[in-house]
Amino acid sequence: MKRRRRNSKLKFEESSDQSPATTAEFSFSLTKIAVSQICQSIGYKATDSSALNTLTLTTTKFLQSLAELAASFSNTANRTEVNLFDIVNGLQDIALSTSDCFPGGSTVHDIESHCLMKSAVFRNLSDFVKYAPEIPFAKPLPRRERNGSSGGDLDHVAVTQSVEVKSVPAWLPPFPDASVYSDRCSQDRSDHLWENSDSVIGREIMPEGLKSESCRDNTGGRLPLRRSSVKFKIEQRDWRSGGDTRLERWRDNNDGESGGGVDVKKKIRQGYTYCAGEWPI
Amino acid sequence: MNHGQQSGEAKHEDDAALTEFLASLMDYTPTIPDDLVEHYLAKSGFQCPDVRLIRLVAVATQKFVADVASDALQHCKARPAPVVKDKKQQKDKRLILTMEDLSKALREYGVNVKHPEYFADSPSTGMDPATRDE
Repeated sequence: MKRRRRNSKLKFEESSDQSPATTAEFSFSLTKIAVSQICQSIGYKATDSSALNTLTLTTTKFLQSLAELAASFSNTANRTEVNLFDIVNGLQDIALSTSDCFPGGSTVHDIESHCLMKSAVFRNLSDFVKYAPEIPFAKPLPRRERNGSSGGDLDHVAVTQSVEVKSVPAWLPPFPDASVYSDRCSQDRSDHLWENSDSVIGREIMPEGLKSESCRDNTGGRLPLRRSSVKFKIEQRDWRSGGDTRLERWRDNNDGESGGGVDVKKKIRQGYTYCAGEWPI
Repeated sequence: MNHGQQSGEAKHEDDAALTEFLASLMDYTPTIPDDLVEHYLAKSGFQCPDVRLIRLVAVATQKFVADVASDALQHCKARPAPVVKDKKQQKDKRLILTMEDLSKALREYGVNVKHPEYFADSPSTGMDPATRDE
């Protein structure tokens, strides 16, 4: 008795508990659920797993071929966006190739049928929507953020959510994964940047916090909440004396230590030549 | 003159029916979710911001699957039932979608499915369909 009761249960889902690894597998498994729901509504009590896989694969191929046909019709008409006429044309082409799917597909190029509702394909779909009962998907899918014209790419979601920089316009493609460029940026450029060379004056006293702020990748383009204050003093100087701002600042910091302006200029010259090779001073 | 008026009225009726159908798509919930359809459409280079057209594609696909499945069901029902002594067991004949019925149904739609004559895709293959547990 117990066995019979167990047999009477509907089992449309696969017994394996393997979670889908890729986007293709995930979308295929979602389609499989939808297809099994449709089969159940037709009157089936159970399915073979191979038959269900075959029907799901056929469904995805149907969907993609319809999309490709509609897209090709729109491209032929010098458009990028598909409209209703392209879809109906695609449906009629499929109906011609699969003669029993949509009866009346042979009236595609009928001169009198100017209106889309004359198309038997379209009329059948209208009747289907009117009379067939609604079968909602088993579980509502979590809504994702609509990002302009980015279409329905499920891969896109994770990337856009990971990096949110307000200064970057939304219509630009998403950033690649941070691991791709952050390490390379810090490793490759650390030896060549003039700011990191030893000849830069005052590099030793640069705090670690400011160093990390200079690399935009770590903060994602956002400014830190607490920043150290920077003060500037603007003075009127006689330009004929050839005063260099950087030179004067160094002079002020060292408070007239030994070593004249010639040594300082030498140091600065070394720093510039290290950075850019030829820097006119 | 009368012929022209009649054709004009028919066109108006068709336009009204088309508008009504497109409006009904906004309220209709297809079995295949919109996001899933959008994903497959985007993979094929289909760009369209209109939800109604995406639902139209979903409805067309749903109708295709329903037609194939109902044809396969007819094949399943038309198959001669195995001789069973117990009448109760004959009543409980389970409707199972099999590769045999599906390939017959798909052949009518121009899809030729090839599968081995004996394909053991589950441990219960070869058992009586009325008793097996899929």
